[in-house]
Amino acid sequence: MDASVSPVFWILAAVIILSAIAVVSLKNIFHCALFLILCLFSVAGIFILLHAEFLAAAQVLIYVGAVAILIIFAIMLTTNLASRTIQQVNKHALTALFGCALFVLAMVGLFRQSGVWNWTQTALPDENVLTIGKLLMTKYMLPFEVVSVLLLAALIGAIALAREEKS
Amino acid sequence: MDWLTPLIFAPLVGAIILAFVPSKQTETIKGVALIIAIITFILSLFVYAQFDKLGAGMQLTVNVPWITSLGIHYHLGIDGISLLLIVLTTVLTILAILSSWRSITEGVKGFFVSMLILTSGMIGVFCALDLFLFYIFWEVMLIPMYFLIGIWGGPRRVYAAIKFVLFTMFGSLLMLVAILYLYFQYHSFAGVYTFDMLKLMQMPIAINPQHWLFVAFALAFAIKVPLWPFHTWLPDAHVQAPTAGSVILAGVLLKMGTYGFIRIAMPMFPDATATFVPYIAILSVIAIIYGALVSMVQKDIKSLVAFSSVSHMGFVMLGLFALNQEAVQGAVIQMINHGISTGALFLLVGMIYERRHTRLIAEFGGLGKVMPVFSAFFMIVMLSSIGLPFTNGFVGEFLILLGAFKANVWYGVFAATGVILAACYMLWMYQRVVFGKVTNPENEKLTDINWRERIILIPLVVLIFFIGIYPTPLFERTEPAVRQVIAHIEQTRQAKQDLERIDERTLALREGAGLSQKVTEKGVTR
Amino acid sequence: MEFQLPDFDLRVMMPEIFLFLWALVVITFDLSTKRRSGAAVAYLAMFGLVITGILLAVAGTGAGFGAMFFNDAASIFFKVIFLGAAFMAIGSSFGLLRQKIQHHRGEFFGLILLSTVGMMFLASSNELLSLYIGLELTTIPLFVCAAFFKDNRLSVEAGIKYLIIGAFSSALLLYGLSLLYGLSGTTDLLQMRINIATTHLNFREIGMLPMISVIMLVAGLGFKLALPPFHQWAPDVYEGSPTPIAAFLSVGSKAAGLIAFAKIMINGLQVFYDQVMAPSDWGILVAVIASAAMIWGNVAAIRQANIKRMLAYSSIAQAGYIMIGMVALNELGMAAVSFYMFTYLFANMGAFAVVAIFEDTTGSTQISSYNGLAKTSPFHAASMSVFLLSLAGIPPLAGFFAKYYVFASAIKMAGAADDKSWLYWLVGVGLLTSVFALYYYANIIKTMYFTTDESPYRLSVASPGSAMVLIGLIGVLLFGLYPTPILEFAAGIPEALGVVVP
Repeated sequence: MDASVSPVFWILAAVIILSAIAVVSLKNIFHCALFLILCLFSVAGIFILLHAEFLAAAQVLIYVGAVAILIIFAIMLTTNLASRTIQQVNKHALTALFGCALFVLAMVGLFRQSGVWNWTQTALPDENVLTIGKLLMTKYMLPFEVVSVLLLAALIGAIALAREEKS
Repeated sequence: MDWLTPLIFAPLVGAIILAFVPSKQTETIKGVALIIAIITFILSLFVYAQFDKLGAGMQLTVNVPWITSLGIHYHLGIDGISLLLIVLTTVLTILAILSSWRSITEGVKGFFVSMLILTSGMIGVFCALDLFLFYIFWEVMLIPMYFLIGIWGGPRRVYAAIKFVLFTMFGSLLMLVAILYLYFQYHSFAGVYTFDMLKLMQMPIAINPQHWLFVAFALAFAIKVPLWPFHTWLPDAHVQAPTAGSVILAGVLLKMGTYGFIRIAMPMFPDATATFVPYIAILSVIAIIYGALVSMVQKDIKSLVAFSSVSHMGFVMLGLFALNQEAVQGAVIQMINHGISTGALFLLVGMIYERRHTRLIAEFGGLGKVMPVFSAFFMIVMLSSIGLPFTNGFVGEFLILLGAFKANVWYGVFAATGVILAACYMLWMYQRVVFGKVTNPENEKLTDINWRERIILIPLVVLIFFIGIYPTPLFERTEPAVRQVIAHIEQTRQAKQDLERIDERTLALREGAGLSQKVTEKGVTR
Repeated sequence: MEFQLPDFDLRVMMPEIFLFLWALVVITFDLSTKRRSGAAVAYLAMFGLVITGILLAVAGTGAGFGAMFFNDAASIFFKVIFLGAAFMAIGSSFGLLRQKIQHHRGEFFGLILLSTVGMMFLASSNELLSLYIGLELTTIPLFVCAAFFKDNRLSVEAGIKYLIIGAFSSALLLYGLSLLYGLSGTTDLLQMRINIATTHLNFREIGMLPMISVIMLVAGLGFKLALPPFHQWAPDVYEGSPTPIAAFLSVGSKAAGLIAFAKIMINGLQVFYDQVMAPSDWGILVAVIASAAMIWGNVAAIRQANIKRMLAYSSIAQAGYIMIGMVALNELGMAAVSFYMFTYLFANMGAFAVVAIFEDTTGSTQISSYNGLAKTSPFHAASMSVFLLSLAGIPPLAGFFAKYYVFASAIKMAGAADDKSWLYWLVGVGLLTSVFALYYYANIIKTMYFTTDESPYRLSVASPGSAMVLIGLIGVLLFGLYPTPILEFAAGIPEALGVVVP
């Protein structure tokens, strides 16, 4: 199935873009966070359309389940932040908009020009997730292990920064 | 035996020893520096004695691989030209150190360490036969000079020091690129990597790159000479530098430029040299006249001497680019002469500056009455700078003019006006400073020069007369070297012209053959 | 699809494993001494780095875990640089322990060690995924280290700025890498080179995709290397972060970015170097960026009043010089880059060590406060001058050989083919800007020497920081006068990175 013609794709794409705009334009930070969750959910939907179930699951688990919830916690625990209106733009807004527009135009133009992707017409293996799991435990085991070192380093760093010193 | 290595590194080792002397013991530091300078001088005399004056080519050569993977060799050797310049360097170093005995009070240790490192660099440049080594010594001179001007110089020393460094660095970087180009060119020509000047000279280079390479080297050297219009750093540097710095700068550092021309730029790029002769000759003539005219209006004795250097170095450049035996040899002798007489002038200026803390001509007058010995020395040195017969200046300038007339009458005519102008500004300055009544009451109490200052001046005066009356030892030693340089330039150009002629002939033959072939083809088709 | 564990060889990975464990030892030691460890913890960290160096020599070359971990001449050479940078960074942070870092000493040094592990892992990987993770492991501990003075606004700002820029550049890099994966169907760089070459012999058919990928990669790595226009973070971060961290960023992190760049662009994408591949070629793109770095870095450095900001701009310019070697893609180019980085280690770490000592003694990083330092602290002033002159490329210091080697590689490449003559321009820019560089380096020497005033500060010679200065001094002088062994080792690097000489 070609993803680009599916009406579901168009719906999801519209939701992603609209909710992303909402995230950067709404005045209430709590609403922004909620729209961020919507945006991330829709991206997971796109992944499912592309038969990337693992990615979709990871997207929901990590971004929606962890990151976004963390943001909401942070907002709710900070005094009065949820009810305050915030300034989302500064004087560089127009410049930034211009930059983004230029980037989008360039990317769309370039992708339309590109002829060949190295894609295979054969269907993806059904045990997509299984394959990834096996690869992570065999070929990519070393980077997988190093990621744990990375997490440890991040953990130590977070503690060192966040811990209150008693002097 | 390898005589050059100890000669080059004796001052450097001395500098390292000095670095360990406590900086409070200034007398010890001065003494050690002087002893090292004298040792270096004695070593240079050994080298002088070892030098075979009849032998052509490089002598006392040393050639050891240094950085093998890049083909860099520690390759030293001298010919007559470098020999004389080395001896000049060691003599002037001693005198410069002596002249700083009282005038340097702050940072004594740093001063003498810089002086000694500078000496190593200068001798190294004159000995190096490997372009890479040459470049390293060339740059090594830069930093001590920067410190000498910047720390112990006059009120505008910081500006002068930075200007000096940036001008020189700009030139050297151009030279570095040219060196690299040569290096790879030689690799594609002979299949090996080398920086050996003698080998690089044997390489034929196409005319277009040759021009570019010549320009790159020539700019580096012309800034150092300094040739008009690249001279603007020189008055600043000279006026601001301490006496010893000026002596070394004028006496030796300026010679690096002309030495570079005769050692590298001219023999390596003979065709380009021929192309650029008129341009450089015109610039030299401009330098001669411009330097003299500007000297005339200077109010400060030291800047007068500085601008006179521009004029004198113009003579040297003109001599080199007249490209005949007389002129080039005259130029080489004039390099030595300029070192002696301008060095002496700076020393003399330094001596009265130490007494009066001013160098303005208007402040003086009638010094002949209060400082008779000083005035006598001043007179001799000034006359040598003008080029009076029986002084050294005459020998060099005469030969250069002779050669210049031979090469092109107009060069000679214009350059000769430079000699007249030199007499004007020097005599006029001398008259204002020495003759007449003592107009300024502050000059009445001046003491004449003491024994230390006389010791500094006597060797130079002896040299002035010696070279003026009996220049044969200098001629004997430089003659084969100069002959070889000129012969090399001519041979290479000759060989190239022959080759071109042969090429043309073969081309013509081929074309002829082609034509006949076409005719036969046509005949066949018909 | 094969699901086999690649052959692994722990011997080759020994240095990284040891250093990781040692980082934990360092942190635990600090904890177990109830945070009263003082300088001991720093000595412990430095000791670990020395041991790692010895292990590195013992481990030798070979595959540790397929393409995920491979030790060759290039990776060993860069690992030595990383270890040296970490060693000297820790060595010059003793002054911080007295006042500024009272808590979390173990974490501070442990994070530096962990970052070093990341760099080493990165240098050994020949594969996109492990390369990316190595790069992240390099930068994440450094975010924390940059913000380690929690009460100092500038330091926190530096940390946050570095974090955001780092995340942004990582995203760009990832985007570029994912496009590469899409084009070649593999994450293995060697395989990628073959895949791209064989399946897309007619490259024009791919259209603009490689171009997007190349731009993303250059931008992502450009941030790490602080190449314009991605350099703005560097001065602020250098200024705000603890001086030893700034030094480590400017040497270690830069070397890591370089080796990552070399692995991706040379090992994987060498075919896209040439103009034949226009518009997807990266040769001229990087050349333009390099010249921008040299021009902007050197010009902006002239106007700086803060020595850390000046060194930041100088390091931007130095990255430009290094990139000359990178785009001179011949048998000399990468060797020149590696040698440059090696000499840069001594000169720059040495200069930062002096800055660190000065900051610890006086609390100032203003250039004007160095006024007259030569009179009171001759050793430090002289060493600083030597480092700066080496950075400016004055012979016979090591920096000169590095610059020379880089220019030599470019001139050789330019002479080899007509369509490479743009390299002459690059060399020209390099030369002209060297004169600017000399101006501001000389300016500091001027401040220290060319004054009659005497500095009110006296720097202590007997301190670990001064020992680092001495190490830098020895390195700069020794490898200036006798660079042969390093040059010979570096000569094998282009081959190790698979440079195909045209």
